[in-house]
Amino acid sequence: MVVSPALEIVRYRSLLRNLVAKDLKVRYKNSALGFVWSLLNPLLLMLVFTFVFTQLLDQQIPDFPVFVLTALLPWTWTATAVSVGTSTLIDNAPLINKVYFPRYLLPVSVVMSTGMNFVLGLPALFLLMAVFGRPFTQWMLYIPVIILVQGIFLMALVLFLAPLHVHLRDTMVVVDVGLTAWFFLTPILYSVEMIVPELAAWMYRINPMAAIVAEYRTILYEGGVPDPLFMGRTGVTALIMLVLAYLFFKRLNRNIGEHL
Amino acid sequence: MALPRRRTQRADVAVEFRDVSRRFMLYHERRNSFQDWFIGLIRPRGNAEEFWALRDVSFSVGWGESLGVLGRNGAGKSTLLKLVTHILEPTSGEISLNGDTHAMLELGAGFHPELSGRDNVYLNGSIYGHDRQTMAERIDSIVEFADLEQFIDTPVKHYSSGMFMRLGFAIAVHMDPEILVIDEVLAVGDANFQAKSHRALHQLKDQGTTILFVSHNAEQVRSFCDKAILLENGRLIDSGKAEDVVDHYERLLAGSSGTDSMELMRLRVLDRDGRSAETVIGGDDIEFEALLRVSGDSIPGDLTLGIDVYDADGVHLFGRSSAVPTELPMNEVDGGKLATAKGRIHRMPIRSGELHLVATLQRAGDAEQVLGRSETNVDVTPPAISAERGMLHLDQEWHWAADGRVQVDQKDGK
Repeated sequence: MVVSPALEIVRYRSLLRNLVAKDLKVRYKNSALGFVWSLLNPLLLMLVFTFVFTQLLDQQIPDFPVFVLTALLPWTWTATAVSVGTSTLIDNAPLINKVYFPRYLLPVSVVMSTGMNFVLGLPALFLLMAVFGRPFTQWMLYIPVIILVQGIFLMALVLFLAPLHVHLRDTMVVVDVGLTAWFFLTPILYSVEMIVPELAAWMYRINPMAAIVAEYRTILYEGGVPDPLFMGRTGVTALIMLVLAYLFFKRLNRNIGEHL
Repeated sequence: MALPRRRTQRADVAVEFRDVSRRFMLYHERRNSFQDWFIGLIRPRGNAEEFWALRDVSFSVGWGESLGVLGRNGAGKSTLLKLVTHILEPTSGEISLNGDTHAMLELGAGFHPELSGRDNVYLNGSIYGHDRQTMAERIDSIVEFADLEQFIDTPVKHYSSGMFMRLGFAIAVHMDPEILVIDEVLAVGDANFQAKSHRALHQLKDQGTTILFVSHNAEQVRSFCDKAILLENGRLIDSGKAEDVVDHYERLLAGSSGTDSMELMRLRVLDRDGRSAETVIGGDDIEFEALLRVSGDSIPGDLTLGIDVYDADGVHLFGRSSAVPTELPMNEVDGGKLATAKGRIHRMPIRSGELHLVATLQRAGDAEQVLGRSETNVDVTPPAISAERGMLHLDQEWHWAADGRVQVDQKDGK
């Protein structure tokens, strides 16, 4: 039940690769500048937030641009993966109605292509870190693990939302509103340490993105040591969510052709 | 196309449907938003209408056979296609597909407009489970077949619809499937390309590709398929040799000629299980069935149905007629009622050869007015173990005699 999709992914790996390549190519329209455009949104937000928090509000966080971008980049991955992923089954309705292939490859490929986008944006962050003289430590080698955990978490989320959107077409509206709320409820513009201590524990428990963002920030902004136990817990939670979401996806998707 | 055939699995048949049904629920109010969903929690929606797009459909396609699927609009052809290709799952029944399947449901399905023709070839290939290397080996041949050498690196959004379809067709015939499902796509492009695609499909067929061809074009099925099935209102109403089923379909399309009349739709030979058969064993019972369609409320009282049997040379072997009773059990379908007349010839005295059966429906007493005529051929094959020779199967005995005492040694026939 859970092993067979893994085998199927191996069998359809070239489809997965082509779907990811298609997403990236279409987004960048085969132009070199296209990729820069995709970085523009988080960079612009970083500038706006820096202006608001350091000039208008006089926030005492050192090197605020690095502080906010370390959280903003992974958040952009989450936000685009969730919003593009939720509508991916409907966007690909003509294909779904004409050819059989494992349907979960569509949401999975969205998470992967937006993830590629995130990884390609990391050098911009490194550049900013160098400009502000933030430390580069050996703990940065731990980043791929966090990326993996975030990827699994996003796949779970998208596998749950995409079929729901097929059945309830206003899921997208709820997702849009939810993403905005989620953005402010995740320690992006502030750090976990600034939260009332008893609520901070709760935030970690309910919001996996809080743990994920905090880990990126610990390593990239503070140059600190990641907490492997903490990430392990988030990773296991994400894996359990992925299995449940996959089963949910299978169940709702049985006769998806009828609803598209 | 010129690649060696590989078989992933061997099973007796390539495709098999066993009592497959597919139901659709037609909701008059769809619960498609959260608001509707909340309302639904309080007030359960009542009026959902059941619609059976397919009902108890059973058939099988042997390896290398080409099966035509015929039926009018709404007969269930599209549902059947989507079931074969796994796009839909059956409500009940079982479907076996015993090999790699490629479906040509819509040429160019899955093309992305922003990608070049070349990228789309790879993308399309991978949708059907072919890796990059396999596609790299075939791409030149695909491009050549589609006549798109100049445009293959242009985004397909700039293609004309003809170019688009040509590329889709070229990809499909180069996928080297074991089972190919085609939905009326033979009419693609100009006459030149049509001839080319015809040749390609015939070549695939000659290589042993199993083909399921869905069409409402009777002539395409007649010329291309070995066998055919006919769907009507979701039910399989006929199956057998393509030419016979096409004749039946054409009669169905022609419609009834007036009120209170009866038409002869099809004569067919049945095997022991009641399925349409093309061969019978010499000396066995032969069963035949005439499908009749009645329009209007009642059956006219002056009809006779005749059955005549001829051999391959046209020698009239047997014939009989009988009056059609005015009370017949009938199956109601839209636009008419179906009735069947079954007959059985016991221990048919033919051992081997081809028989030509003709059913004739006419008004009694007036041999000139033939209302309908349907023919079919059946091959009689000799029983596997038999010491007999010749065309006839006779009830005979063989005696060995000595000293005037007669002893029966062998007796053939039943």
